[in-house]
Amino acid sequence: MYWLRRAWAELRNEIFVLPSRTLVLIWVVALLALPFVYGDAYVMRILTMTCIFAIFAASWDLLAGYTGQVNFGHALFFGAGAYTSALLSLKLGLSPWLTIFAGAAVALLFGFLVGYLCLRLRGSYLSLATLAFPLIALGLLFAFPDFSGGELGVSGLRRLVLTPTGNYYLAAISMLVIVFGLWLVADSKFGIVLHAIRDDEVAARASGINTLRYKMTVFAIAGAAAGFAGALFAHYLRVAGPSALEVALSFQVVIWGIFGGVATIYGPVAAVFLLYPLTEWLGSFPAVGELRLLIFAVIVLLVLLFMPRGLTPWVRDKIETQCPRCKQRNAAWKSVCRLCGATLQAQVPGAQRFVGHQ
Amino acid sequence: MLRTLIAAPCLALAALGFATAAQAQTIKIAILGPMAFVQGENHWAGAEMARDEINKAGGIKVGGKTMRIELVRADTNEIASVPDATNAIERVITRDKVDFLIGGFRSEAVLAMQEVAMDYKKIFLGVGAAHSKLGLNVEQNYERYKYWFRVAPTKDVDLARTLFAVMGSIGQQIRTELKTDSPKVAILAEKAVWTEALVAAAQKNLPAMKMEVVGTWQPSATATDVTAELSAIDRAGAHIVFTMLSGPVGISVGRQMGERNMKAVAWGINVEGQKEEFWQAAAGKAQFVSTLDTYSEVEMTPKTIPFVQAFKQRYKKAPTYTAATYDAIMLLKAVIEQEGTTNADKLVAAIEKIEHVGTGSTASWDKRHDLNWAVGKTAGIAVQWQDGKKVPFWPPNIKGMQPFKMPAR
Amino acid sequence: MLQDILVTGLVNGGVYALLAIGFSLIFGVARIVNIAHTAFYMLAAYCFYTLLVKTGLGFVLSGLLSVGAVTLFSVVCYRLVIEPVREHEAAVLIATIALALVFQELMLYTFGGHFLGIPSTLEGSVRFLGVSIPYQRLLILVVAGASLVLVWFVLYRTRLGLAIRATANDLEVANLMGMNVHRVAMATVAISVALAAVAGVVVAPVFVVDPFMWLAPLVTMLAIVVLGGLGSMKGSLIGALIIGYVEAITVFAVPAGAYLKGAVALLIMVIVLLARPEGLFGVAFEEER
Repeated sequence: MYWLRRAWAELRNEIFVLPSRTLVLIWVVALLALPFVYGDAYVMRILTMTCIFAIFAASWDLLAGYTGQVNFGHALFFGAGAYTSALLSLKLGLSPWLTIFAGAAVALLFGFLVGYLCLRLRGSYLSLATLAFPLIALGLLFAFPDFSGGELGVSGLRRLVLTPTGNYYLAAISMLVIVFGLWLVADSKFGIVLHAIRDDEVAARASGINTLRYKMTVFAIAGAAAGFAGALFAHYLRVAGPSALEVALSFQVVIWGIFGGVATIYGPVAAVFLLYPLTEWLGSFPAVGELRLLIFAVIVLLVLLFMPRGLTPWVRDKIETQCPRCKQRNAAWKSVCRLCGATLQAQVPGAQRFVGHQ
Repeated sequence: MLRTLIAAPCLALAALGFATAAQAQTIKIAILGPMAFVQGENHWAGAEMARDEINKAGGIKVGGKTMRIELVRADTNEIASVPDATNAIERVITRDKVDFLIGGFRSEAVLAMQEVAMDYKKIFLGVGAAHSKLGLNVEQNYERYKYWFRVAPTKDVDLARTLFAVMGSIGQQIRTELKTDSPKVAILAEKAVWTEALVAAAQKNLPAMKMEVVGTWQPSATATDVTAELSAIDRAGAHIVFTMLSGPVGISVGRQMGERNMKAVAWGINVEGQKEEFWQAAAGKAQFVSTLDTYSEVEMTPKTIPFVQAFKQRYKKAPTYTAATYDAIMLLKAVIEQEGTTNADKLVAAIEKIEHVGTGSTASWDKRHDLNWAVGKTAGIAVQWQDGKKVPFWPPNIKGMQPFKMPAR
Repeated sequence: MLQDILVTGLVNGGVYALLAIGFSLIFGVARIVNIAHTAFYMLAAYCFYTLLVKTGLGFVLSGLLSVGAVTLFSVVCYRLVIEPVREHEAAVLIATIALALVFQELMLYTFGGHFLGIPSTLEGSVRFLGVSIPYQRLLILVVAGASLVLVWFVLYRTRLGLAIRATANDLEVANLMGMNVHRVAMATVAISVALAAVAGVVVAPVFVVDPFMWLAPLVTMLAIVVLGGLGSMKGSLIGALIIGYVEAITVFAVPAGAYLKGAVALLIMVIVLLARPEGLFGVAFEEER
């Protein structure tokens, strides 16, 4: 009883006061309750894929948004996780429940490797160098077709769970756990250091921060998360092929990340949840279906024109304001700050109504 | 106002009634393929021709009643994205509630799609993917995968048998015309899993056929420039370039061989070379390029020539092998009428025993649900590009075949 | 075999140089990573195909019209799509990716997914050092060389070139000095895309034309530009030659490994970057931080 009252108090004081947090809560509840409301296997398939890609996108944001290491080859980690899990479960007969973690571990190692190789690279050099890694990996995979299955990949994998609903819950819960975990990482002191590295690495080093270690750690964490997503992907489709490493996938995650809003973690997740089902839905209409990539690209362009910082920052600016005195967020329609009592409205000049990175 | 309130639900119910009634009378078949590309276009075209022909004749007799065919067009976009293909197949099964699935092209995607189809125990007739693994699954786990049958093409290893059969006849022609004992062969195979076994087989069998292998070159499937490879092949003095190409590299080979006026002749698999657009894509230079193919105006079966002519008349171009969706639908019609039911298990048993005369082949299936290979029945034909036209030249005993030509020396 | 490598490497390098210089120019000046650069190359190829094959205009006229049309179109795109988001580097990045996707899908929709062949401008070939080189490839080399000279002339001998170099050096001061920074940026975009369009017209007959033809050259071109150093013309030229030769060596020395030539080129790029993080001739901009 006490816990119930405590939970209710938390809800009222921490979550419902801010529209953005309420939205997140509604989304989590909707995600978990979906199979009871709408048990269609097709819809669950789409949402399972969305959850998997959401993990992928969130991991990219940690790397690119927070730490400024804009990775154009994030598919390398995805593919590494997919292939590792596939090969281990197929060749050694291990249970997929074990191999997905092995996949994440191998992707973590790849993260260290790429992070190490890219330590001295900055900006566009980093982006373009990371673009090369999945392609080199593809070349290697094609060079050893007996091992990797060449252009066909590894097929005949076992599902983790047999029913569509089961798979959906696996993907959804993994996503919630991993995304929340990434968000916690980003919201901690560790995250502040990452911000510092992005904004001015030289200054960070001058302050005594071992930026090399931080960068490699972030690469490893992002790699592990992406690798986990890749392993789930492989076992869901039951095929792990070169499509898990291609340039288009890397570009796709960059688009999701920037469209949703970099350095937010929830931004890319929102982008995936909006864009992926949308393109799928468009694809189901025979007349429009072949044009779906075109429509997707046009939507991205239009949104960029009006919301250059991404979708979620724009939405948050509309529904929340920042208190000029205590710098905490408030719902936009409130006239008085909920924490310090300062007035929130018209006296505040427009420029100061931006919500800062939180 | 009241009248609208009453009329609307009545109309809706009536419409629902019609819809369900209509539903009950049709057999729904999903045609899965990359619809923005030639392969998908042919999937759909072949299927349309079959549907129109069957529906015009009344439909399929299922036991006592007659049912019409309804096609569901599903763009799998498999060339660009494997998950899109699995999404599409799940959609047509759960949303559109189709009874049968036909199509597929990219082997990686078809492997994934096969899994989904087998989960729902729906008959899936493959028309396009050649990889043996699809049939191997049937052998290793019959109860699960028995709903899969490959209508076209023959599996990849059987393609090899056809290739060597034709190679023998070309080799003989070279021996007589060029007075050389052992013709030199350069192997030009794209680097891909499907060519691995073929390359190994070629390297072993060609010397046994008294032909010398002067080298093996393996460009990437998407390579657009093969001058380096062709220069080296020229230097080696090859008479035949044995091609195993499925990607656009086939166009580059045809064009660049012509531009260099190479004395060697190209024979093998050149999937791009099977398409009508090949001549234009190679800028008119691909003279004498020859490849394995399925459709031509020759009497492979009594149905071939009428089908090819009708197809050309309707779609203004010749069919490629993925138009064998026509054969797949006709096969379904035959077994459904024979068994009097659309029950999947019964139909599976029927297909296993039947010999079906199609337009591209006279087909029967082995225990892997792959086509039984036989020259003149399922082995396909060989064509050569001469002056902008695809001229069939093998098997020589079929009516309509013409002689194989070689570059002047 | 040595002559084969020498000649093939040079010819391929020329092709890559044409693409890389345009990209390097726009990055060096406008700091825009234009992922759609090779997509414009593709548009020019399709335009050339339509004018040549469907309308039957001559080679020269079709070529000039294609280059002109695509250049104009690129300026329009820049004004509509890129300029509004110039300050947000990340947004520019995905704006250009989205633009490239739009072009790809438009071409896919209009022309279909199959491969098209453009007739060669020059037929026949010549033997040089025992290697047979088609005239079309010599044409590419000549055009690449001419474009390079032209770009150098514009950059170093005209006022516009001076303005471009000044803006690249320090945007704010150039603005203070009275140069119209927006006009300069547009001029740079125009020159850069014109180079890509010329490449499309001259190179496309050698390769096949299809809606996805922009992806492979993109990766190689990025590798070259990064290898040579972003923003350095000299670097791009040398990078193009290096990559051209690496690919030629891979194919000739290891025939069964010809498919690896892309991966090997990228590996070389990564190795160079490890040794020199700004590329061979790159200039590390201090204000980059």
